Amino acid sequence: MTPAVFPERGLADRLTGLFWRQPNLLLVLLLSPPLIWLGLVYLGSLAALLLQSFYSVDEFSGVVKEEFTLKTYAELFRAQNLDIILRTVLMSAAVTLACAILAFPIAYFAARYAKGRWKAAFYLGVMLPLWSSYLVKVYAWKLILAKEGIVTWATDATGTSFIVNGLLSIPSIGGNSLSTSFIGTFVVFVYVWLPYMILPMQAALERVPNSMLEASADLGATRGQTFRTVILPLALPGVIAGSIFTFSLTLGDYIIPQIIGNSARFIGLTVYQLQGTAGNTPLAAAFAVVPILIMVVYLTLAKRAGAFDAL
Amino acid sequence: MISAVEFQSVSRHFGTVRAVDGVDLTIAKGSFFAMLGPSGSGKTTCLRLISGFEKPTGGNIRIFGEDVSNTPPHLRNVNTVFQDYALFPHMNVRDNVAYGLMVKGVGRSQRYIKAEELLALVHLDGYGDRKPGQLSGGQRQRVALARALINEPKVLLLDEPLGALDLKLREAMQDELKTLQQRLGITFVFVTHDQGEALSMADSLAVFNDGKIAQIGTPADVYARPRTRFVADFVGSSNVLPPDVTRALGGPDAWSSLRPETLRVVPSSGAALSGPITSTRFLGAGTRATIAAYGTEIAMLLPAGQPVPDHGDTVGLAFEPASLHVMEGEA
Repeated sequence: MTPAVFPERGLADRLTGLFWRQPNLLLVLLLSPPLIWLGLVYLGSLAALLLQSFYSVDEFSGVVKEEFTLKTYAELFRAQNLDIILRTVLMSAAVTLACAILAFPIAYFAARYAKGRWKAAFYLGVMLPLWSSYLVKVYAWKLILAKEGIVTWATDATGTSFIVNGLLSIPSIGGNSLSTSFIGTFVVFVYVWLPYMILPMQAALERVPNSMLEASADLGATRGQTFRTVILPLALPGVIAGSIFTFSLTLGDYIIPQIIGNSARFIGLTVYQLQGTAGNTPLAAAFAVVPILIMVVYLTLAKRAGAFDAL
Repeated sequence: MISAVEFQSVSRHFGTVRAVDGVDLTIAKGSFFAMLGPSGSGKTTCLRLISGFEKPTGGNIRIFGEDVSNTPPHLRNVNTVFQDYALFPHMNVRDNVAYGLMVKGVGRSQRYIKAEELLALVHLDGYGDRKPGQLSGGQRQRVALARALINEPKVLLLDEPLGALDLKLREAMQDELKTLQQRLGITFVFVTHDQGEALSMADSLAVFNDGKIAQIGTPADVYARPRTRFVADFVGSSNVLPPDVTRALGGPDAWSSLRPETLRVVPSSGAALSGPITSTRFLGAGTRATIAAYGTEIAMLLPAGQPVPDHGDTVGLAFEPASLHVMEGEA
């Protein structure tokens, strides 16, 4: 005869029983380490940053005055600083848009058509660049885009160098060579952040059942109408998630504009220089707050536009 | 007369899998047509061939006389109620229903008027502002129905639309669909694996097996005179008797079908069929019992109120000779 109730055999049984009687205990044990990490280290450092931005630097001694002031924020509105902000925002917007346009067909293929081996190939293809060092990739691009680089060689060999020359002759985004122009910066940004757009987009598209697209066609919609009225609204949360990555990563990056581009400053680079060589931590902090505010505005607008209705 | 849908030796092969294999089919205008069969028998593929989501690998399909071989789904005046309803989650009920008119470019106020009419037709007046996620399964089904009807299709396709509903709701919807079809006069093509549903709703039905049509006819005809063993067993779980048993019961040397409800209990002495009871199953409206005879099991249906014999009791069974339906061929 087997008993109706089995005896406890050891610690594992006792713990399982304890968690069954106190379900919240397991939750507390699971969540407290990450919440402590998030609360103290993550949000704490953000609060410290915010605090710094309300301090100022004494113009004569260069010492940080720990007194509340909005003076540092006012400095952001100087023409040269506004230039930096505007340049960064425009670059981030352009990179995000280009990533979205490039990522969509790839994500769509992966979500709707790729199966088995093709799906594995997709994940490998998208993730592989993420496994190698970021710096190596950026320097590799410098070699590709340099005046004596692969692009010049390839366009010379195929007689298409007029395209590159034409692009480089465009005022303000052009330049001496691809590696020293905004076009180059843009290309490398798009390359580096593209996976962060593809993956959330693919996840969102995967959740759109095929029958919904068929229902749309069944009711008389063309492919374009189905795309605008069904696919895009349903994939929008994924697009927004991806754009948060590409937009905020571009807003904060300080390495790519240092290596590729015409050494015009971006927010990330400015923060890096201000807190390092210049020793102006308050202004660096104020600059660092700008991307946060931009993201808040961006997400508010996205929410108002109904981007999260399909969530 | 032109038929609503016509298949001429239509096939749809997926590699080596013959989902639909040489199907000839005629669906009369204004009829309620059921495609019945087990899963994987090709009935849903047939439906998708009509809507255009599958392309035939052989044969011709005509809808109201027009060859649709080169017509994409969005240009076919045929609409579908999908198995999972496929309502657009980001649109409210009104916009879902009005979708077919929206993509045709009908103005907002005009399409909303029509959408309200359709919502009233399926008894969902006043639900226009809700999102599909806020509706019950039965309500979602009605929205899907209203949405599919707004374009006034020549043929309405229904892919197991009642599968996800509970029994009570399913029965109510069966009546409602039937009434709606008679009122609108639209040809309904209905896919189901539920033989009761097909028998009770359809004007005529096709029984599918292995990508082919096993039998086509009116429900009464298919039920009373199944053409093959498969049909006899699938539609109404008949007793399928091999040739030697048929002969012993006074029939020819062929497979036959004997409906459980045509059998009645008689004293075992002298009865053509007799044997011990091997199982009884209470069904509410009656009891299904089986006896062992001729090396097989014979099922019968005892109406409610009749005494139910005990397990192991030997009983005799009698039937009218006409009830023994002889089937053609080996299959």
